[in-house]
Amino acid sequence: MRQNDSSDLESPTAQFPTIRPATVQPLLELEGVSRVYGDEVEVFALREVSLRIMPGEFMSIVGPSGSGKSTMLGLLGLLDLPTTGIVRITGHDVSALDDPQRSRLRGDVIGFVFQQFHLIPHLSALGNVETALLYRDIRPKDRRERAFDALDRLGLAARADHRPVQMSGGEQQRVALARAIVTDPMMILADEPTGALDSANAAHVLEIFAGLGTPERAVVVVTHDLAVAATAHRKVSMRDGRIVADESRAA
Amino acid sequence: MSKARDLIGVAWTGLMARKVRTFMILLGPMIGVASMLGAVGLTESAKGALQVQLAKLGTNLIIAQAGGSFGSQNPTLPGDAVSRVDAVSSVISAAATTNLSGVVSLPVLGAADYYTAFPVPVRAADDNLPSVLQVPILDGRWLDRADSRLHLLSVVLGSGIAKQYGYLPGEIRTIRLNNTNFGVVGVLGPVPLDPTLDNAAFVPQWAARHYFGTNGQPNELYVRTKSGTTEATAADLPTAISLGGPDQVSTQVPSNVLAAQAQANKTLQKVALLAGLLVLTVGGLGIANVMSISVIQRSAEIGIRRAVGHSRSKIATQFLLESLFVGLLGGAIGVLIGIGAVYLVSSVEHWVVEIGYGQIPIWMGLALLVAVIAGLYPSIKAARLEPLETLRLG
Repeated sequence: MRQNDSSDLESPTAQFPTIRPATVQPLLELEGVSRVYGDEVEVFALREVSLRIMPGEFMSIVGPSGSGKSTMLGLLGLLDLPTTGIVRITGHDVSALDDPQRSRLRGDVIGFVFQQFHLIPHLSALGNVETALLYRDIRPKDRRERAFDALDRLGLAARADHRPVQMSGGEQQRVALARAIVTDPMMILADEPTGALDSANAAHVLEIFAGLGTPERAVVVVTHDLAVAATAHRKVSMRDGRIVADESRAA
Repeated sequence: MSKARDLIGVAWTGLMARKVRTFMILLGPMIGVASMLGAVGLTESAKGALQVQLAKLGTNLIIAQAGGSFGSQNPTLPGDAVSRVDAVSSVISAAATTNLSGVVSLPVLGAADYYTAFPVPVRAADDNLPSVLQVPILDGRWLDRADSRLHLLSVVLGSGIAKQYGYLPGEIRTIRLNNTNFGVVGVLGPVPLDPTLDNAAFVPQWAARHYFGTNGQPNELYVRTKSGTTEATAADLPTAISLGGPDQVSTQVPSNVLAAQAQANKTLQKVALLAGLLVLTVGGLGIANVMSISVIQRSAEIGIRRAVGHSRSKIATQFLLESLFVGLLGGAIGVLIGIGAVYLVSSVEHWVVEIGYGQIPIWMGLALLVAVIAGLYPSIKAARLEPLETLRLG
């Protein structure tokens, strides 16, 4: 049973036929990207940044607050657009897409995990995971099954009907993880995923995190916690809107 | 199709997650629709009752009265007015009454002062008056030929007077008219077309001539006409009665007054409709207000939905649908309440229930329109929220 379900999760190419590269090309590519806020007084949140994220990478982006991490996260997550430069996701120029296209791409390609979990409070764990599968051509029954399988993979089958307030922080973050992986995204994008957890839960979540990567999928963790960053294979350091270091270590 | 279903599901869950708040904003469209439907339903039902009454009473009764030259004390019609009217081809039947002025009627001895001060009108009436009026006899009998032939001192009470005198059905009762005792033989049913008859006592024509000195000249004629000729007959009757003589005659069709009452309700209906519309509009402001606050409270939810791939237009539609459901649900409950109110009041008032079912789509449409307009601004606001800001990243 479990076996079938997980294989189902790993090969939904029929559901998401859009963007499976045949040859290895960057999943996400920033090319001379700047992000400027403000009209009269320009504030450079990001300055001429170039970055490539390849499939299968487990990468961390670190830096003190104000270094441009959040801006980077918004751009990588297709929640924001660059002022200048190009953001390409699987070859598509993000700026050339309209909102429905970009939203669709975001839903298909990226799975978000947030520090504050950000579950919808009035929905059950299952409902929260299902949210990521809405507005697609999936029958409600199949959607529920897929959402349940994702919860099951994270050991939350018994919690499927619980609301966020009825769960511990660790459980909530696992629900958020289930929501992120239920679409089988090509990139997991996490913002301080252990920031709101105690050390035991944090370790557990990190362990799950490390196991989320596949040869096709990249995992990107934005954090200022160096212990978290150390679990990644590649560490990109930022300061003042620029990338100041990009180190890889053997996996 | 599946997208529409998903949207409906999301909007519905959003509403149901906040039941009290949802109920509060339901009240606007609910009360608005209920009052508009109730306004039309109640006035139509009241009018319906009048129309049923009119149909029962007939619209072909004419009352002809002596107009009298200005200043004359007791204007009368010619003595042969009834036979002149009967000669008109469109007339089915006619009956006359004569007002007996200066007659004091005493139902009981010992209250002479009161009944002198407030005299009950006594009228001499023809034997066929009830059949012309098409009014039933409530108790006993009407005046008939036996009274004239045998010179019986009979009196019939109007329904109002019978109540005032405390006359019990079948009671043997004499009342004193001036100095003569008359025996009560019956009670005339209510006459909606001429309520003055309810508050009169009726004696036979011969008794009026013999005891109260009338000269056989009536004051009023009640005339039934063939249907469809009533207005024309009413116009011609004065000439037929006076034959160009000095007597002035005025005619009226009393059912027209009732019909006018049914018309007058239109004004009430309009006022109530406007009140309902006002409630609906204010309710719409309430929806807009609460939904706007809701969008702020749910900004994190909106950010999450955007992050998992819901587009701006999906977010806008989600909130617009929530608003629309409020209008739909409130309106539907309002329809039920309105119908219930019309049935309740109608059963208490003995009206014939008339509910403008055909107008329900209009009221529902108005409720939906107001709800959607109210939801527009909050929806657009929700769609414009930047997920980067609402999710507090980094």
